[in-house]
Amino acid sequence: MSLLKAEDITVSQGGTPILHPVSLHLEPGEPLVILGETGSGKSLLAQAIMGTLPRDLTARGRVALGDHLLDAARPGGFRPLWGRQIAVLPQEPWLSLDPLMRAERQVTEAHHLVRGLGAAEAQAQAASDLNHLGLTGAGQRYPHELSGGMAQRVAIAAARAGGARIVIADEPTKGLDAARRDEVADLLLAELARGGGLLVITHDLALARRIGGQMIVLREGRVVEAGATASVMSAPTQAYTRDLIAADPENWAPRKPAAAGLPILTATGLAAERGGTRLFSDLSFDLTEGRILGITGPSGCGKSTLGDVVLGLTGASAGRVEKAAGLTATAFQKLYQDPVAAFPRHQTLGRTLADVARRHGQPETRIDTLMPRLGLAPALLTRRPGAVSGGELQRLALLRLLLVRPKVIFADEPTSRLDPITQKQVIDLLCETATAEGCAIMLVSHDPALVARTADHVLSLGPAAANADVTAPRVVGALQ
Amino acid sequence: MNTLMTRAIQALMVAVLIGAATFAMMRALPGDAAYRIAAGRYGYDNVDTAAADAVRDELGLGGPALPAFLGWLGDLLRLDFGTSLVTGQPVIEEIGHQLGASMALAGVAVLLSLILGPPLGILAGLRPGGVLDRVLLVVSTGLKAVPQFLMALILILILSVQFRLLPAAGHGEARHFILPALALALGLAAVNARIARDAMARIGAMPFYSFAQWMGLSPRQTLWRHGLRNVSVPLLTYLGLQFVTLVEGVVVVEAVFGWPGIGHALVHAIFSRDVPMVQGTALCLGLSFVLINTLIDLVTQRIDPRRAA
Repeated sequence: MSLLKAEDITVSQGGTPILHPVSLHLEPGEPLVILGETGSGKSLLAQAIMGTLPRDLTARGRVALGDHLLDAARPGGFRPLWGRQIAVLPQEPWLSLDPLMRAERQVTEAHHLVRGLGAAEAQAQAASDLNHLGLTGAGQRYPHELSGGMAQRVAIAAARAGGARIVIADEPTKGLDAARRDEVADLLLAELARGGGLLVITHDLALARRIGGQMIVLREGRVVEAGATASVMSAPTQAYTRDLIAADPENWAPRKPAAAGLPILTATGLAAERGGTRLFSDLSFDLTEGRILGITGPSGCGKSTLGDVVLGLTGASAGRVEKAAGLTATAFQKLYQDPVAAFPRHQTLGRTLADVARRHGQPETRIDTLMPRLGLAPALLTRRPGAVSGGELQRLALLRLLLVRPKVIFADEPTSRLDPITQKQVIDLLCETATAEGCAIMLVSHDPALVARTADHVLSLGPAAANADVTAPRVVGALQ
Repeated sequence: MNTLMTRAIQALMVAVLIGAATFAMMRALPGDAAYRIAAGRYGYDNVDTAAADAVRDELGLGGPALPAFLGWLGDLLRLDFGTSLVTGQPVIEEIGHQLGASMALAGVAVLLSLILGPPLGILAGLRPGGVLDRVLLVVSTGLKAVPQFLMALILILILSVQFRLLPAAGHGEARHFILPALALALGLAAVNARIARDAMARIGAMPFYSFAQWMGLSPRQTLWRHGLRNVSVPLLTYLGLQFVTLVEGVVVVEAVFGWPGIGHALVHAIFSRDVPMVQGTALCLGLSFVLINTLIDLVTQRIDPRRAA
């Protein structure tokens, strides 16, 4: 018997349908992956099934959960099932724990108030849950004292404490690096092995591949393709799915290595620390025109700090950075992770770009020449940052850098907030820019596959001791 | 420890700045200080040139400013606030007496504002844009816009004159507290309620607030266990800042209701050019601002461990 069966789920906003009828069922022990880009409606589908849609959206359809028959149009009916039947895993674990409450108490309260255990028993159970998840001794910490992976595990413990058998995870790996992503996937699968149900919503192909089971591909509120995850991933029948899979960095064709141009910068024996902890030491590398230096490593290993050192924003604690003669400070530019935060919100984009051009003595016609090269429509210039897509905005951010005629671009996770297809476009443009503009690019990414297929050489930073975490295999072993 | 150190240095700077500012302002006031002090001592009808000259000679008012100020600062270091030019009593005794009355009034006002404001604000913040939220916005903006002296007069007109429920002035009994405390509390509550409303709306929209409910907690449990604790931090911080409004209000409200407090004393000291009293009173208010904010810092650091870092 299915754990959960949803039939003809639709979502609309003020009469406009934004999710067309979708039906799905969840079997014990077999995960279901819903794959799609931002705006595909995958999160809306999950929210409709859980009864957590925002007020201005209405859902229709029937949901059968064990013995309960629910109407998606009446989200109030789902509430008693939260924590008891359905456990919902949050997107960003750090933000999902009460910042003012110690980790163990947050698990204890679910055991006590939701499952109904006595106070002492609930506390003992919470302590044992955390031990099982490899969090011994971390229970007395506050969320800001936990690493992202640890917070994720505390959230899993809290979400499941009420006794729910069905786990719904909406983008559970958002912002996590490859190692942590696999760790989370393994944790979810371990939970599944106990005979529960698992529904994973993601845009991350690597996560989908690791979770396996069944898959539904959504695009613009419609089901594109459905079937066993392994067969959809290996032999997609629809063009869109093929594009999506081709956009996965794992499947990119490696970039042709660039010929070495003039040297721009030489770093020797660099070291840096943050808050008294050594992040990296003895790093040496060269940057030359037209070449891409890839930088990878887990979160917190000092990738951004390395960028700040190269850009001259912060000093190194040891080593030297020698820049080619004649380069001004503005020849070193940074492309930020979150393009929305990198533009003034209340200015039109055209105005922002024109200001930059004027400040750096560039003719405004350069904006017009660059726009088509970056695949941008002129109409975008009349809009504000909130009214263009993330991919367009990141390309506009790249355009803004090029107005300054940079020699080094430090691109800090420039595509981690973009969808796979958009990610490929932006990275391709970045590669072309290196050749066309003759600048060196330092490309930071948590995705080793992306860096391996893009960069001319790769710098791999090790984990910083302060962030050392319990390793994934041990945690999963403890769960089984 | 760090907090205490910073605050101690601040307290020192506050003392010097307030001393200098009050001293300079008192010197800059127009009119002959000797006449004013004499009037304060003997009453307006008994002031003549002879009395003023006597005062001038006795207090050495004609002397240069800098030595007088440095003298005051030196005395302060020995914890000597000097004596009132009018009554001849030590300033510290006068302040000690009036401060008690003012603190009682301010305490009741803050308590009253906390009973009125934050609960309404939190209820409004739970449903931003709802009926309560919109009504509260209008009411609190209106209340905040009414100056305290006007608020005091309106309350007197309605509750004392029209309905004869409460005494318009006086001091000593519990019922005397109600009107002046309410006049202060309404303005404070208007802003408290907004702060609580904004904090609640912000926290209610945070992922952890939804997650607590997805975990299976009821809305009430979520509010009690996760909402209030998080709302309390900005609210407490704001309470420290509100002390300024409170002092300002106390001065006005005490004058209207004839409350024998520090605000009342300050106004009289300024009228009669009683410089040591003005300096002592202002210093006392300034230092209590630092003290209260230090206490609030310590409390919020305890609630929110992220602030201690």
